[in-house]
Amino acid sequence: MTEEEEFFAWLDGELEGGQAARVEARVAASPELAARAEAHRRLAAGLRDAFEPVLQSAPEPPRFQAAEVVDFRARAVRRDEHRSQFGLPQWAAMAATLALGLLVGNLVGGSDRDAPVTLDHGQLIAAAALSHSLDTALASSPGNEGARIGLTFRSTKGNVCRSFQDGQASGLACREGRQWRVEGLFRDGEGQSSDYRMAAGQNPRLAELIDQTIAGEPLDAAQEKSTRDRGWR
Amino acid sequence: MPSLSFDSELAAVWPRLRRLAHALARNPADADDLAQMAAEKAFKSFAQFQPGTKFDSWMFRICRTVWIDMIRSGTRRAAHEAPEEAGEAVGFDPRPATDAAIDLRTAMAAMQRLPEEQREVVALILVDGCGYREAAEILEQPIGTVSSRLARGRQALLAMLGEGG
Repeated sequence: MTEEEEFFAWLDGELEGGQAARVEARVAASPELAARAEAHRRLAAGLRDAFEPVLQSAPEPPRFQAAEVVDFRARAVRRDEHRSQFGLPQWAAMAATLALGLLVGNLVGGSDRDAPVTLDHGQLIAAAALSHSLDTALASSPGNEGARIGLTFRSTKGNVCRSFQDGQASGLACREGRQWRVEGLFRDGEGQSSDYRMAAGQNPRLAELIDQTIAGEPLDAAQEKSTRDRGWR
Repeated sequence: MPSLSFDSELAAVWPRLRRLAHALARNPADADDLAQMAAEKAFKSFAQFQPGTKFDSWMFRICRTVWIDMIRSGTRRAAHEAPEEAGEAVGFDPRPATDAAIDLRTAMAAMQRLPEEQREVVALILVDGCGYREAAEILEQPIGTVSSRLARGRQALLAMLGEGG
């Protein structure tokens, strides 16, 4: 280690005991060295301060693992935003996330009859069992079978939307024609109880989606029932 | 299958990873790409992560590898708009460093003017605050090499960013 490197190592707190004391004494005895030490301390502090905004402004980290989100609508928006803005990696990561979600979740059925969601002309719609629950179930009187309904409300587009919890997933479906179009499907997180008291809407990403979709207040029990009896119009 | 959650480990180190990327890359857009690519590569190699070792060091090592690949392959964003950026913000502030806070743009531009092997040492030790030994492990260099590059890098930076008092 040169004398200069030793000086910097001392400055950085990398020296121990006797060696540190020797450099310290040398610096104390030399105004020139003391000034250098001060200038380099300021440089290091200035550099750290300069990069501090990057720490403070960090956007959400990318997520790779659980793929709780199969929120196709938001994904499509993000994809369009990011396609030009980001290179391949961002999109590839999202695609990986999506693929994982489908693999792990089996939430979207092709041939899988138990899947709650199916594809119809490129749109995600509630499959038979889920569709039946959405058609008939009331949040106020949950049945023993099928999806449990959380909130029922009118969207900003005026159609009826219902959040649901079905097996390991929760989501939001909105009425379109005679179908329930699935606006978002979220795999319930690890450690999140699937106990029925965890009504749909507990998932924070679902809550966010509802927040973006809802117009006004959710329907109360009487409104929910009368809307059902009118065929969700 | 590692029992650790990659996403939660990544989330803990993510702000520092981005900062490291900004200290290495030539502009914020490249830095964001670098952080993203490093995270992605780490996810793909997560099975090779040894539980019990430091995730941040492992992540930084991957970031550094990706950065070197970026430099070698020339896949840096917007190569056509970057050239004048590297030096323009440096040296135009007449105030000495003692009085003027260094802004991010100036700091990034100054870092760009360091040779790459000094830049990575400065990024790890001065910007992130790694110890010498940790930096040496991340960079897979002897500690003596690290300390001599650090000395040269910080001298150069001091000359660029102002001598102070």
